[in-house]
Amino acid sequence: MSPEQKKFLKNLKLTKYKVIFLQIAILVIFLGLWEFLTFKGIISPFIYSSPSKIFSTIIDLIHSHNFFIHIYITLKEVLIAFFLGISLGFIIALILYEWKFLAKVIDPYLTMFNSLPKVALGPLIIIAGGANIKSVILMALLINLIISIITIYNGFLCTDEYCFKLFKTLHATKLQTLLYLVIPNSYQTIITSLKLCLSQTLVGVLMGEFLVSKQGIGYLIVYGKQVFNLNIVMSGIIILALISYILYKFITILEKKLLKHI
Amino acid sequence: MNNLIEIHNITKNYHTKEGEISAIKDFNLNLKKGEIVSIVGPSGCGKSTLLSIIANLDSDYQGEIIQHNLKIAYMLQNAALLPYLTIYENAILGLKINHQLTKENLAYVDYLFDLYNLNDFKNNYPKSLSGGMKQRIALIRTLSLKPDLLLLDEPFSALDEQSKLIISEDVYKIIKEKNITAILVTHNIEEAIYFSDKIVVLSKRPAIIKNIISINCENNTSIYERRKDPNFHKYFDTIWKDLDINES
Repeated sequence: MSPEQKKFLKNLKLTKYKVIFLQIAILVIFLGLWEFLTFKGIISPFIYSSPSKIFSTIIDLIHSHNFFIHIYITLKEVLIAFFLGISLGFIIALILYEWKFLAKVIDPYLTMFNSLPKVALGPLIIIAGGANIKSVILMALLINLIISIITIYNGFLCTDEYCFKLFKTLHATKLQTLLYLVIPNSYQTIITSLKLCLSQTLVGVLMGEFLVSKQGIGYLIVYGKQVFNLNIVMSGIIILALISYILYKFITILEKKLLKHI
Repeated sequence: MNNLIEIHNITKNYHTKEGEISAIKDFNLNLKKGEIVSIVGPSGCGKSTLLSIIANLDSDYQGEIIQHNLKIAYMLQNAALLPYLTIYENAILGLKINHQLTKENLAYVDYLFDLYNLNDFKNNYPKSLSGGMKQRIALIRTLSLKPDLLLLDEPFSALDEQSKLIISEDVYKIIKEKNITAILVTHNIEEAIYFSDKIVVLSKRPAIIKNIISINCENNTSIYERRKDPNFHKYFDTIWKDLDINES
């Protein structure tokens, strides 16, 4: 290996370490500043809590409030609603793509339902489904499904016309065109829809838990608000941020794998 | 009657909201085995539409095409390689789609990779190849189907001048070697002359045949030799006059 190549690789590594260092530094400075400001009373520790209090609250919650059950319930609701949303979205987008006449017919309804604030349907869902996990999942599904359908469907529509002509010249069947061209060609859009679906699912699950749940992070946040213990509220928010980060990370790993050569 | 394909009175009209547009009118052409015919004409006159009709990709036309179960392959202007498949997977895509991944066909693909010195790139992805190399892969993908009739829809027009000459030489040699019948659609007069045995000159839309010119070169071993033919400029002038670019 030439010295120039060695230097190039060293610089690449150095940049990577610099990014990680700065990311950690931002977190440490943020937490340190937060702790300092609340300790000195510059910002209200009652409203904004503090990292040390959040940490001790999480420890307390683990000991007294079945904390992991709350995480488990939220995670379960998120994963079920997410996979249902993305699978149904994919299947409906495929049906609309193959049956463009139907797509034209239902287009105004899709647009209308997409712009409707789905949280308005909350009371209806509680009455219809009851105060249980099913209602939370239904709430999340209502929020994430339409966006999944629209994103994936538009991805299918963006398939290169030239490649379509190629498949026609190769006498490919509709199924072959779908499997070898339309779907792989939409990987980028499918990944985007996974990301959108995940964030919408989290919103939906939280909404659902605020409205009907007796367990879950959303319930913990509402409970913390009701007993004026904002440390619990902050702990819930932090745990939610961690859950969404971890799930998002899984999608980026999939993204790297699928889009490696594109 | 030793024609490989006979095209009789092809007429094609498009239907739009604004009205009916006549694209092709009374097109006739017969091709013998091993013959290379170029179709030249102004941009948008209907050359590619004609190829689509011959390839049976468009069945909405009047007229008749007589051929007996010919294996027809189509090479496009753009290589249209799928970025998520390796070079080799792209090359055998036609065989895969047509359920023809036999040992013999795969050996033929290997032979073509060897012929075009692309063996080292088999496991690469298209983004790492130059335009010329991509078009060579598209050529392998087309030839892997062992066609009786090869339809070439401006396959060299997106290439730089050097790649254009190299790839057209590749195509010309393999067509001659395998005695494949071919129809080339091009807007490049020189390309049409050095490539073909016969040139059909079309008018602007609706495309009607203005002239059919037979090309007789003394040395047919390569397109380089054909370019040196003493009659090259005579053919060029005739086609240029037929095209009549000032025609309104």
